[in-house]
Formats: sequence, C-alpha cells, structure tokens
Amino acid sequence: MIEFRGVHKTYANGTKALRDVNINIEKGEFVFIVGASGAGKSTFLKLIMHEEVPTAGEVIVNGYKLSKLKRREIPYLRRTMGIVFQDFRLINTMTVFDNVAFAMRVTGASKREVRKRVPYILGLVGLENKARSYPMELSGGEQQRVSLARALVNNPALIIADEPTGNIDPELSYEIMELLTEINRRGTTVLVVTHEHDLVSHFHRRVIVIEDGTVVSDVPQEQPAVPVSEPANDVVADVLDTIQSAPKGSPADAVIDDIVNGGDAQ
Amino acid sequence: MRLSSLGYLIKEGFRNIKQNAFMAVASILVLVSCLLLSGSAYLVFVNIESAFDYVYSQNVAVVFAAETADEAAVAALGEQIRALSNVSDVELISKEDTLTRYEGVIPEATFEQLQGTNNPFLDSYKVTFIDLDDAVFKSTIQSIKDMPNVDDVSYNGDIAATLAHLRSVVMLIGGVVIIVLLFVSLFIISNTIKLTVYSRRLEIGIMKSVGATKAFIRLPFMWEGMVLGFAAGLLSYGIMHLIYTRLMAMPALGFISFTSLSVTGLSTVMPVWAELLVGFLVIGVLTGMLGSGLSMGRYLKEESGVSSD
Repeated sequence: MIEFRGVHKTYANGTKALRDVNINIEKGEFVFIVGASGAGKSTFLKLIMHEEVPTAGEVIVNGYKLSKLKRREIPYLRRTMGIVFQDFRLINTMTVFDNVAFAMRVTGASKREVRKRVPYILGLVGLENKARSYPMELSGGEQQRVSLARALVNNPALIIADEPTGNIDPELSYEIMELLTEINRRGTTVLVVTHEHDLVSHFHRRVIVIEDGTVVSDVPQEQPAVPVSEPANDVVADVLDTIQSAPKGSPADAVIDDIVNGGDAQ
Repeated sequence: MRLSSLGYLIKEGFRNIKQNAFMAVASILVLVSCLLLSGSAYLVFVNIESAFDYVYSQNVAVVFAAETADEAAVAALGEQIRALSNVSDVELISKEDTLTRYEGVIPEATFEQLQGTNNPFLDSYKVTFIDLDDAVFKSTIQSIKDMPNVDDVSYNGDIAATLAHLRSVVMLIGGVVIIVLLFVSLFIISNTIKLTVYSRRLEIGIMKSVGATKAFIRLPFMWEGMVLGFAAGLLSYGIMHLIYTRLMAMPALGFISFTSLSVTGLSTVMPVWAELLVGFLVIGVLTGMLGSGLSMGRYLKEESGVSSD
C-alpha cells in the first residue's frame, strides 16, 4: 500500500528532512506516525501525497511508483487517498453538503451519484442534520467530521489524517479517532500523524516514531516497544514510555474518563 | 470533461464572483479604465482620420479630355486613368453634365443654342487619389498628362503633400499610444487577477488535495474572467458613448475644431461604434480569460500548495 525504500529528502535550503527511511505499510493497517514538530512527519506525508519528491530512494503509494509518475497522473494518485488536515481546510462559502460533494464533482461524478452518496457519508460521520450549515456555524469537532466525510466520499483505499485532533477539544478527539477506527475496520488503510501520546497509547495500534528525519521506532500493533536506537529527546522518550506502560485491553471509557477528569495517562 | 461537470464549473464561476464581489468590482473597474483610455485614443484617432478622409475627398484633380476626342476615345481615357495604381476613383463628368449645371443660370435661349455640337465645354474626369505623398502624387499627375487625348489637368499640389505628411505622423502616434495603453492594461489586469488568485490559494490547494485536474481548477477562474471582461466591455462602451455624445453636444470645446468635421462625417456613423463595442467586448473577454488562466501559474503546479499555502 505504502512503501518507502531508502528515502532521503533534503530541501533546497540544506535541511535534511528525512534520512534513509524504510517503511512498509500493508493494506488494511492502522498506523500512527509520531514525532515532535520538525521531526520530518510533514515531509513524510508530503512525499506520500507527491507534494514533494524524494532526493533519493523510492516511494510507492497505492500501486503508483511515484518516481515514474507523470505530472498529469498526480490528480489521479490523489483520488486514491482521502486527506484530513489539522486545520480542516473546508471552503467557508460552501455548505457542508457542497464541501463534501466537491470532492466527488472533481472526479466527474454525476449529480445523481452525488445526491445519493453525500447524505450517506454525512450520516456515517453523524452530520446528516448539518448538510445545509456552513463550516463557520459548526464546532471544531463537527468541522473535522466534515473534513473526514470529504476524505471518505470517493471511497479511497487510504485515509491520511494530519494531526486530525490538533485543533479540537480533547474529548472530541476520541470521537474522531473512533470514527477513523470504524473506517479502518471496514477495510480502509488509515495513517494518523499526531503528537498526542494519549491517543496513541489509547488505541493500541502500530506506531512509527520519526525523530530527526529517521525512523527511531516501528512498533507493531499490541506489542511492547523496542527502540531501535536511544530516544533522541524527551518527547520521544515520553511517547515510548507511554506506549509501553499503557494498560493492555483496558476499556476505552475508563481511559477517556481518566483523561477528561484530569488523570494523566503517562 | 462531462457536460454535468461543465455546468457545475460555470455555476462555480458565478458563485466565485458573488463570493468575491469586492475583487470582482475592482477587476471590472481596472479593466474599464484601461478600455476607456484605449477607446478614447482610438476615437481621437478615428476622428483625425475621418477629418483627413474628408479633406482627401476634396482634393481631386480634374482631367479635361481634348476637344477632338470622340466618345470612344474619352471612354478609353477613363479606363486608362482608372488603371493607374495611385487612383482610387474616377468619375466621368460629360460636357452635357457640365452644361446641365447652367440650366436656369444662363438665359434659356442661349442654353438651347448651346445644346449638341455647340457645347463649349470639355468632357472631364474627376480623379481621386490614394497616396498624396508629393513625389508619388506628382508622378501620377505627370503620367495622366502624358496620356493621349488629354487637354489639361487641374490640381492643387501643395495641400496634397502637407496632408500626406501629417497623416502619416498622426497614424504613427495614434498607433503607438494605443499599443502602449493596451500593454499597460494587460499588466494591470494580470496583477489584479494574480491578487484574486492569491486570495483564493486555500481553495485551490483543497481542489488539488482532492485530486482536481489543472483544467478543472482553471475553468471556473477563466469563466469568471470572461464574465467580468464582458461586463467591463459593456460598461466601457456605455460610458464612452455617453461621454462622447455629451462632448459633441458642446460646441464651445476647443478641440472640436477638428472633430466637428466628423459630426456629419465618419465617426458618428454606426460602424465606428459597432467596431468599438466589438473591440471592447473581445478585448475584455480575452484579457479576462487569458489573464486569469495564465496568471494562475504557480498555484496550479501539481506538486505544491496541497497541505500548506
């Protein structure tokens, strides 16, 4: 599904954003990408979306070998993935319905298909009653669900969520994450970039830690973390610590309760 | 592209205009100013041209056929003059025509007497020229003089030369002014559109992130540009027409001295206004469409601006 083979990325200003990254994400996986800001997470995503090209190495996404990708094929690559952004990236002058329908119209979908599919997807994210609202009339959590609906509407094989909970209330973060989990349960590969340890430790999933441009840890689902190198700094140490210490199989409600009531999962 | 997509994109273009009313108004105003400037230059130019045309049409030479020439010889002379490359029009004024002009002026008995073979006048040709440049004009006159059956050629040489020189100067200045104004317009318009596109880069980024092709992103912008350009063209025409007719109605204006000629001449005749309307609309629509289509440049690049501005 996503494969990085010896990927290096150095920007024009000399910043070495990624160094020899090798990752393989299979179809149907749910993966957290964790790292402090500036660690290279954004570059990692940009390479997947083909917004940047690697300096060396090969990136393969949804069957597209990106080094061989022609410019005019880029839009078609992007149609195979749904992207959820931290800042939602909704068009404020369009209704919720149109924001979601927009992604379908881009692919040349007919009016009938749009009318059938959009309400279904809005129902899926629990916004069937907000179709006529405008983004600014919604809460942050609701806006992010619209963004998620837009990412889902073309039934992509891969969902990429870039800090999806960064701009919304903590209690609503779990709602978004539960939605992503549900989407993953239906067979869609989900990639979540975050720096929120609580979320990562709560949903026992594969965790890839990027630090200073390299993968310092890649922990498969439900297994104790084994750092491939010493944690580079406190943030990474924290994350690893959290992953290792989270009680396995604890009911989700208890953990949420714990966090909402001021408990500290760390 | 599917038809339903096209309909959607056109609707999008209209929605964009509504959502960005301020920029739309600004673009129209810029375009209107540019069109008015170019249009004014054009009208002044047309007026000077029509003044020249008027004077030119007055500047004719009259070629008198020899008294001995019979009807066939006179006709042959006419053909010969018409065949000259610098001659635009040849009009036969027979001696009967000339005589008829005096009907009622001279006593009727004398008039009757002068009919037929007693006609004292000569058959003549009124000749209009294309190029009044001194050397060309004189050589044309000379070649007519050298033709058989020519009695005399009557013309005014000095005015012709002065006019021809003036005309070429005016044409050069007018052409340069209009071209410079059009370039200035294009520059201002493309900058205005760049500003609009810049203010909407988030929208463009979102389009790219959901896999929109270049054409899909560009089309609503181009349609929007076309609609704004069309509106600016119509508005400019209305303003131009209003100002021009008002000015023409004011006899006290100093510069009217040369435009007054054309009040009854060319420039108030419909074709010039039709030309101006079509010109405004075509320039408006084209600059609007190409301006928005081309100035989107880097925002359209597939690789960048998807997850950040």
